[in-house]
Amino acid sequence: MKEGKVLCSISTKGRYLTTLPLAIQSVMMQTKMPDKLVIFDDNDPPEDMRDVQLYQYLFQMMNLKGLDWEWVYAEKKGQHYNHDKANKMGYEWVWRMDDDTVAEYDTLEKLFSYTGPDIGAIGGSILTPPFMRGITASGKIENIDLEQNLQWDYISKVKSVDHLHCSFLYRAGIHDYELALSRIAHREETLFTYGLKQKGYQILVVPAITWHLKNKAGGIRDGVREMFEHDEKIFKRSFDLPQDSTIVVLDCGMGDHIVFKHVLPDVKNPFVFSCYPNIVPGQSIAEARALLGDKIDQYNIYRKMDEWNWKGSLEDAFRKLYGAKK
Amino acid sequence: MIIISPYARPMRSGDKNHPKNYPYWNVLIPLIKTLDDVVQVGSGSEEALLGVSDLRLDLSLKDLSELIQQGRTWVSVDSFFQHYCWDQNKRGVVLWGQSDPNIFGHPENINLLKSRKHLREKQFWLWEQTPYDPTVFVQPGEVIQAIKSLI
Repeated sequence: MKEGKVLCSISTKGRYLTTLPLAIQSVMMQTKMPDKLVIFDDNDPPEDMRDVQLYQYLFQMMNLKGLDWEWVYAEKKGQHYNHDKANKMGYEWVWRMDDDTVAEYDTLEKLFSYTGPDIGAIGGSILTPPFMRGITASGKIENIDLEQNLQWDYISKVKSVDHLHCSFLYRAGIHDYELALSRIAHREETLFTYGLKQKGYQILVVPAITWHLKNKAGGIRDGVREMFEHDEKIFKRSFDLPQDSTIVVLDCGMGDHIVFKHVLPDVKNPFVFSCYPNIVPGQSIAEARALLGDKIDQYNIYRKMDEWNWKGSLEDAFRKLYGAKK
Repeated sequence: MIIISPYARPMRSGDKNHPKNYPYWNVLIPLIKTLDDVVQVGSGSEEALLGVSDLRLDLSLKDLSELIQQGRTWVSVDSFFQHYCWDQNKRGVVLWGQSDPNIFGHPENINLLKSRKHLREKQFWLWEQTPYDPTVFVQPGEVIQAIKSLI
């Protein structure tokens, strides 16, 4: 794990010569630069941008500024697959940008200033001019279809919310992206950030600005109705679990349950699924499997420790997975 | 009374040579018996080790807790038992081989590891993927010294 390090991740499709260069430029002109920029190219077929003069300039500028960067020809399964790869590249934080967003010069610096041990993700304003002013909203997941998103307006003060959209800074390696979504990955960032909240971490909106130059072509808007409906069904399933709870799944051994028992008092509002309810009371693992399906695997503490190349104690690994500070 | 928990939970493959299992109990048990009575705890069809006359299998957590409190100390491989004794605030000796006590152990116990060079590279993979190696454990004499320091 690269402690304190920030990876910037951009997934792109159909925007080589429209907004992607603007997004890249805005990353390299930050007052706080990320430690690396990775661009996942989902174009089919992809082009070699080294042959394009504009990109030749951008690549040289990044080199001159000392910004480590990588261009990855991606699997063309959708941006959620690409973001999940970034999620597991070993950085502590990932700043995800869309390929049609332009960050203000100090956006990453501002977002990063709110990082802390109990923070899962931090998002700022995502502005598409002209935009509505004076949005008031709860930011609660259950109100997502009833209210505007706070990020669509200037944000004047820090607020804890349930979910974020578009571009934000997040704690990597804790929660997996929902790979069952279609290639348009509708609601993917909502599901992802809400998943971090369900792991016990705070999600914040803060004063920082990213411009969203929504583009009719490319990205998610290339989808078809059936894909939106498919993804919306997956999203609605997330309401089957209690809101405002940290979902704990102990699909592990007796000894692991004993250790987790010492973490439990520090887990915020836990909703527990347990193999040994005589040690840690909770719902059965069969119920967890029915509710979470394949997603149960991301609660496997051994898988997580392996992904994190973990050297600390089992107890501290549980604390990291469930945002439980001592 | 000194409690011993000699076996890790059996592997799903059915192989009885779990890489966590200590190979020198036949030497160690007579040495422990010079200090106190030995009670072996375990589960399932586990058999009493040579020299053990008191074998208690499948105890409830409550009964196990009572036994632990009655004992002077305990010796265990890396298993549920070492976590449970830690939970019950009873210090003992853990015999490590290829799993890392910094990850799976508790500093309140005496964690006997022969050498970190024997730790398996993939600490979180299934044990079926790790061959048994009896040479990775400390000798019984070192275990006895650790027990004596606790009683």
